[in-house]
Amino acid sequence: MDDSRIDFSPLDPSRDPERWRRMIDSITARALAARGPGSIPQQLLAWSRPALAMAAALTLVIWGAAWASGPEPAPQARTEPAVTLAAWAADDELPPATEILQILGGQNGSR
Amino acid sequence: MAPDETASLVVRAQRGDADAFTALARRFLRAAYAVALAVVGRPADAEDVAQDAFVVAIERMETCREPARFGGWLLQIVRNRALNFLDARRLRDVPSNEAREDRAAPATEEVGLRERLIAALTALSPIRREVVLLHDLEGWTHQEIGLALGISELMSRQHLFNARGVLRGRLAEENPAEVNHG
Repeated sequence: MDDSRIDFSPLDPSRDPERWRRMIDSITARALAARGPGSIPQQLLAWSRPALAMAAALTLVIWGAAWASGPEPAPQARTEPAVTLAAWAADDELPPATEILQILGGQNGSR
Repeated sequence: MAPDETASLVVRAQRGDADAFTALARRFLRAAYAVALAVVGRPADAEDVAQDAFVVAIERMETCREPARFGGWLLQIVRNRALNFLDARRLRDVPSNEAREDRAAPATEEVGLRERLIAALTALSPIRREVVLLHDLEGWTHQEIGLALGISELMSRQHLFNARGVLRGRLAEENPAEVNHG
């Protein structure tokens, strides 16, 4: 079908390259002027992506540092006498008296 | 231009990249002009409509939800603005002579040929004018035309075939030598 193409070149505005270039430049200039600096929501949207990326990077750094420092003993097991008492209650054997005094004394001292 | 390249330019334009505006204008302004010409029928008016529509499209760039289909989205804006322009022109009742058509100062014989081409185009339906101008003036493929106009490639071919037949007949009535074969 291409061999029967109608010659529309007399209607082609790009036949004058300089004039055509000016038209394109004019569109770009008008478009930039019309868009302006952008609304506040648009600017917030533009900044939200880098802000989210920064927050994600900081989170990774903090997690990495925490992981590198190794696991800590569970604070509950260290400080909660009720856990120790429950363990003793579950066992058949009685704990030594010194340990009972330590637990009770620690509990009294901490409160 | 591949749809991916168009989509990339549209995304950059949505972020306010002036170079992307220019690249899109280089790629699509002539297609916009072709569709505007198909509606308003006068080259100078079509240039104005195409430029205005392009600026509007860039202003509303964020609403282009399918960047790869920017062409179809743009041409719809062009068509709407051209129809509005046509209504306003009818209300103004401007004489139909082409008083403003000498912007590019073409040679006299070219003016005659332009007039005959414009007159011949009026014999076509709007969709056939768009198809033949997008294909023969702008150089789009049937795939691109189908995508932009929302018709099948086969329908685009049929419109082109019929449009060329009508145009060739009209132009041959006046001067057989002016029916050019590419």
